[in-house]
Amino acid sequence: MTGPRTAVEDRTRFLVRRDHPWWRVLAVAGILLAWELFARAGWVPVLFLPSPIGVLREGADMVVSGEIVTHLAASLQRLVFGFVLGAALGIAVGVAVGFFSIAEAVGTPVIAATFPIPKIALLPLLILWLGLGEASKIAVIALGVFFPMAINTYTGVRQADPLLVRAAVAFGARRWSVIRKVMLPSALPMIFAGLRLGAGTALLLLVAAEMIAVESGIGFLVLHAGNLMQTTKLMVGIVLLSLLGVLSHWSLNRLERLAIPWRHDH
Amino acid sequence: MTRWLVALLLLATLAAPAAAADTVKVGVLKLTSSAPLFIGVEKGFFKEFGVEPELVFFQAAAPIATALAAGQVDVGATGLTAALYNIVLGGEKIWVVADKGREWPGYPLTAIVVRKELYDGGLRGVTDLKGKRIGITQLGSTFHYHLGNVLEKHGLTLNDVKIVPLQAMGAAMEALKGRQVDAIMLPQPFPGTAEAQGFGRILAWGGDLFPWQIAAVFYAKKFAADRDRAVSFMKGYAKSSRYYHDAVLVQKDGRVVQGKRYDEVVAITAKYTGAKPEVIRLGFPYQDRNGRLLTQDLARQIDWWVKHGFMKSPLSLSDVVDTRFLELALKDLRE
Amino acid sequence: MRVVVDRVSKTYTDRSGRSIDALRDVAFTVEAEEFVALLGPSGCGKSTLLNIIAGLLAPTGGGVWFDGDRTGTGDAMLSAMVFQEFALFPWRTAQKNVEFGLEEAGVPAAERATRARRYIELTGLAGFETRYPHQLSGGMRQRVGIARALAVEPAVLLMDEPFSALDAQTRQLMQEELLGIWDRTRKTILYVTHNIQEAVYMADRVVVLSRRPGQVLAEVPIELDRPRTEHMAGEPAFIEAADHIWSLIKAQARAAIAE
Repeated sequence: MTGPRTAVEDRTRFLVRRDHPWWRVLAVAGILLAWELFARAGWVPVLFLPSPIGVLREGADMVVSGEIVTHLAASLQRLVFGFVLGAALGIAVGVAVGFFSIAEAVGTPVIAATFPIPKIALLPLLILWLGLGEASKIAVIALGVFFPMAINTYTGVRQADPLLVRAAVAFGARRWSVIRKVMLPSALPMIFAGLRLGAGTALLLLVAAEMIAVESGIGFLVLHAGNLMQTTKLMVGIVLLSLLGVLSHWSLNRLERLAIPWRHDH
Repeated sequence: MTRWLVALLLLATLAAPAAAADTVKVGVLKLTSSAPLFIGVEKGFFKEFGVEPELVFFQAAAPIATALAAGQVDVGATGLTAALYNIVLGGEKIWVVADKGREWPGYPLTAIVVRKELYDGGLRGVTDLKGKRIGITQLGSTFHYHLGNVLEKHGLTLNDVKIVPLQAMGAAMEALKGRQVDAIMLPQPFPGTAEAQGFGRILAWGGDLFPWQIAAVFYAKKFAADRDRAVSFMKGYAKSSRYYHDAVLVQKDGRVVQGKRYDEVVAITAKYTGAKPEVIRLGFPYQDRNGRLLTQDLARQIDWWVKHGFMKSPLSLSDVVDTRFLELALKDLRE
Repeated sequence: MRVVVDRVSKTYTDRSGRSIDALRDVAFTVEAEEFVALLGPSGCGKSTLLNIIAGLLAPTGGGVWFDGDRTGTGDAMLSAMVFQEFALFPWRTAQKNVEFGLEEAGVPAAERATRARRYIELTGLAGFETRYPHQLSGGMRQRVGIARALAVEPAVLLMDEPFSALDAQTRQLMQEELLGIWDRTRKTILYVTHNIQEAVYMADRVVVLSRRPGQVLAEVPIELDRPRTEHMAGEPAFIEAADHIWSLIKAQARAAIAE
């Protein structure tokens, strides 16, 4: 049979999503360039929006004077203590509530009632109870991390594959073995999701906590520079905060890759 | 129907700016030291010269400077802070035009208030403050400057005490009450209130320890450019300042003599600050009868801020002070 | 060790309160070193029965007895299970999975590793010990499952349709391998399946269950030589046995579909 031939064309071509690494780089560079030009042309007063190069220069000065190290160290200390404390407590409570029915009956309403309270609002109370020193600041950060960790760990534990639990019991595992060897590893992906959420909250609360009665820290730097109307320094502080956020996200991702070497495709 | 609504909306938006164009937004704090402004508003002294003032209340002095730079208020009447100088350093214009309060011997404005137990236990002098926790509003504030200079005058430095920034004056009072700090430095009426409520004792008045030009009236760049209105405002201000001075600041033999209008001024101040009259009667802060600035003191302030690292480089006074509005106003007012 | 299933019954109460008889008076014996297949239509309760024998479910009537010498070390478990869906712990390597039961039994680390390695080699996993389950094919994963069960040196190996999740070719090869492993270890095996060909190919005896409530319809001995080969599928003894079993459950299977 002869006749006109028609080729079969790939109709899914428009659905293909490619990565555009050069666009990303150009976009960021473009914004920075435009920003610098605006500042130089005087279209935006430098006091209101410091130029990128001005910010870099100020940052370099601050590195040399040692200011950055002081502030970073103070903030990191509060962040790490608060984060570790909140995460440890959150995981413990999450496992307890996920595994023991009485703990669940007691825990879930309490957590549901207290979780929606913005932790920033609790800061004055914490200061009253724990004083103006480091304790109240670490406590508010820990509280902010506790809730996502507890909730995510609980969910992760409840989601543990019942087949695996049965298999573990079939091979002789008792309560603590099941928790340690099946439920916790099952919950690890959810736990890391909680850690990432917690990291964001921790940074936010760090800045809020550093608004009162501190003499160093990145949040303090931002606030202090704001009070003094030293807007370039303020921008350095903001850049540092952003870097802290990126760094914590990146390190959590690496940590997750180390801790969860198996694929989790459930 | 919709056409009516649109027309109404347009009319409203057109009318609003017309009305707003005449009011002058004045940023102030609810302190005794703002009394001249309160008087001018209450007694219509600004209206007399064709200016309609609108008081905008803030919680601390530095934010007023920021609002001025952003054009959100036209006039600021508050303390001279590092923020103000840094704004000018940063390229935005703010003009210091008149006196609005000096720390002066014999006239209560700011005090160092210590916890009652500590006072009773023997904390009586500035040198006793060594190692103590002292609450102020913000770093870079007038209290910061004042405290630093007071300490230095007594052989100490800021490093000998622990400065606790609490952001708002109310918070500082709470911190003293709650025993979270040992002392605070606040302006009237707070020190009087602390003593009246029993949790604090005034260690000393700042003016007795270290006199300086603490507060001023400032103009935003745009307001200063409107010369007629700028001078008219100064006329109203000068008249208020004289009224204030004659009522509450006149001294005879080293003691304040209550003028004819003393009670009236107390009442007006109580109304706007919300403080009790007995507390206000403790004393009023000093300012020049005609509102003239101690210009040179500003140079001293700038040097101190630069020395302590709160300003990157010095300013020349001509970039910051402009007393011509006041002088022109006074010339017209005579008296 | 022989396993005596003594008139086991199991009744469930469902959500609406009705009681469902899953098993009724099931009775048969698995002799020592015997390979017995347990076969029946879907819903006949084969897995329920296996769980009861494994001690993971309590019967409502009757009981299960293990008879005979407990050979090997004192920590040997009575039975160990191989699951249809493998049930490997994804966060453990193959070796660690195999060691799981030994950990729970308190075996010290060095001995655990040695024993695990022995069964890893036995099941053809040598070289793959450090792989994670997601890095292994289906057949390899079930080998891990088998090694894990063998490692605890149970008296009886309970296998719940262990190869149904694999494709046909892999299944065939795994069946042969299992027979090889059985030949070498001479474990008593109870093998649940719904596949008649598989049951006849692998077992010494096929216990046929009815549909719910599960009862023993018949016990069919398989008169085929060992070692079994794939060509035996054409032998008369094979075909007869398969036919006989099919005739027993054909009506059952039809009714099960209609349910």
